[in-house]
Amino acid sequence: MKKKHDEMICTEDLTFEYIRRDEEGNVEGITTAVDDVNISINPGEFISILGHNGSGKSTLAKHFNALLYPTEGTVWVDGNDTSNLQNLWNIRQEAGMVFQNPDNQIIGQIVEEDVGFGPENIGIPTKEIWERVEESLKAVGMYEFRKNSPNHLSGGQKQRVSIAGVIAMHPKCIILDEPTAMLDPNGRKDVIRAARALNQVENITIILITHYMEEVIYSDRVYVMDKGHVEMQGTPREIFSQVDRLKELRLDVPQVTLLAHELKMRGLPLEDGILTIEELVDQLKKIRK
Amino acid sequence: MAIIIDHVNYIYDADTEMAHAALKDISLEIPDGQFIGLIGHTGSGKSTLIQHLNGLIKPTSGAVYFDGKDINDPEYDRKALRAKVGLVFQYPEHQLFEVDCFTDVCFGPKNLGLSKKEVELRAYEALKQVGFNDEQFYQSPFDLSGGQKRRVAIAGVLAMKPQVLILDEPTAGLDPRGRSEILGLISKLHEEMGITVILVSHSMEDVAEYVQRIIVMNKGEVAFDGTPAQVFSYHKELEKIGLAAPQVTYVMEALESEGFPVNTTAITIDEAADEIMKLFR
Repeated sequence: MKKKHDEMICTEDLTFEYIRRDEEGNVEGITTAVDDVNISINPGEFISILGHNGSGKSTLAKHFNALLYPTEGTVWVDGNDTSNLQNLWNIRQEAGMVFQNPDNQIIGQIVEEDVGFGPENIGIPTKEIWERVEESLKAVGMYEFRKNSPNHLSGGQKQRVSIAGVIAMHPKCIILDEPTAMLDPNGRKDVIRAARALNQVENITIILITHYMEEVIYSDRVYVMDKGHVEMQGTPREIFSQVDRLKELRLDVPQVTLLAHELKMRGLPLEDGILTIEELVDQLKKIRK
Repeated sequence: MAIIIDHVNYIYDADTEMAHAALKDISLEIPDGQFIGLIGHTGSGKSTLIQHLNGLIKPTSGAVYFDGKDINDPEYDRKALRAKVGLVFQYPEHQLFEVDCFTDVCFGPKNLGLSKKEVELRAYEALKQVGFNDEQFYQSPFDLSGGQKRRVAIAGVLAMKPQVLILDEPTAGLDPRGRSEILGLISKLHEEMGITVILVSHSMEDVAEYVQRIIVMNKGEVAFDGTPAQVFSYHKELEKIGLAAPQVTYVMEALESEGFPVNTTAITIDEAADEIMKLFR
């Protein structure tokens, strides 16, 4: 079949509604969780999606591997229409998903067994399963733990095992839905580093949903969701230069960006959208001369 | 009235091959009315430590004193202690269960054996303290947003009239506005009620702005204990144990190493901005 869309993920007028019911099952109303979203994500991109709790970002992401189907509009994953059931297995294999709580996604007794579970289910020959397990665990830096029990790993390590489980399916795209929400700073860094490495080395498309602004600064593009639609989009610099707009949307900017913004408000001639400590220090050096 | 932790050791699965020491010889004094940030990476022992403070866990050796009395003495009334030392667990909204917010908050004080009037009065006050309007009282807690649910759960503990309020990662999973709202609420409760607050967190940025004292745990031991500025001056050591100072601390360090004459102890955005503006006057 000829592909309709070359993008990794493409949505056209995507709307998702669900019906709220009271205790007796009577319809109380309809909530539109995703409202007329048009986005396209190219192969190899690193995309971040921001938005406050309840803005619709997770509901949107669940359309990217056919966990949810559009009420209206269409979603294509690598050219496959997600509402066509025949594409389901294809889509789930091409677009893997990592969720917030690592404890809910690990099933194996031993790390390598857990990572091998996915490929085994799609009938990969045993020898190749082991090859995939090895390369996946190496890609996230967890190979030395392959014989451990997942119960004795830290949150960040468990989350990297979950990612390895997705990589073992050889996906073209990985969707990470707040993968670091329950982790400590070190665990967060390791998970983000693993995601960036997969993007840069293996050229896997990454879609990162997060509440941590610092994690977003390396992405190619950022979408900001509010009330189910895409409210802002652009490069991290374009997005984070709009400090007040982001605050209205219940979001924030990295602390350095906020400091630069504060200094600008107090009269220093700094550029908008400073993202790193180095940039701020460089600019301060220039003004002081 | 203070809490004193005296040479406390705690070993998980002590008599098995899996035995490991979660707390090693901890001695701390927590005076009344202090606002404390308890920080450490996963597995550092901070959750184990707070569970000692209201007698949920008994030390393997050492003692915990509340108001000068050993809380693990067989005669000690630990039920009364649990009302005085209120513990808000991680994701406390998972523990909401009643049909409406008001009934849910009544559950704790009702179990203290108080009169119905007193129970309802306390629940009313507690919900007001967390910023609920009368019309929200009879909503189902399950229809609320994540941040609001968390407020109801905190009100449930406040209704016990605790003298010490301990919150384990109260901002986990919330969006940035939700995080600052909850932290603002906790800080307000500390000011208005004058109670001791212990805030368990991973996030230095969150803690830096609010608390008076930071206790850093690492591998079951107290690694640092002091004011935020004192503790963050050890940022290199903090990194080694999986933590970090707030980003602004690094900005000030970077400026200093570039030869700017700045004071590097700034820990909030305002302090840092004040310090940097001095350079341009």
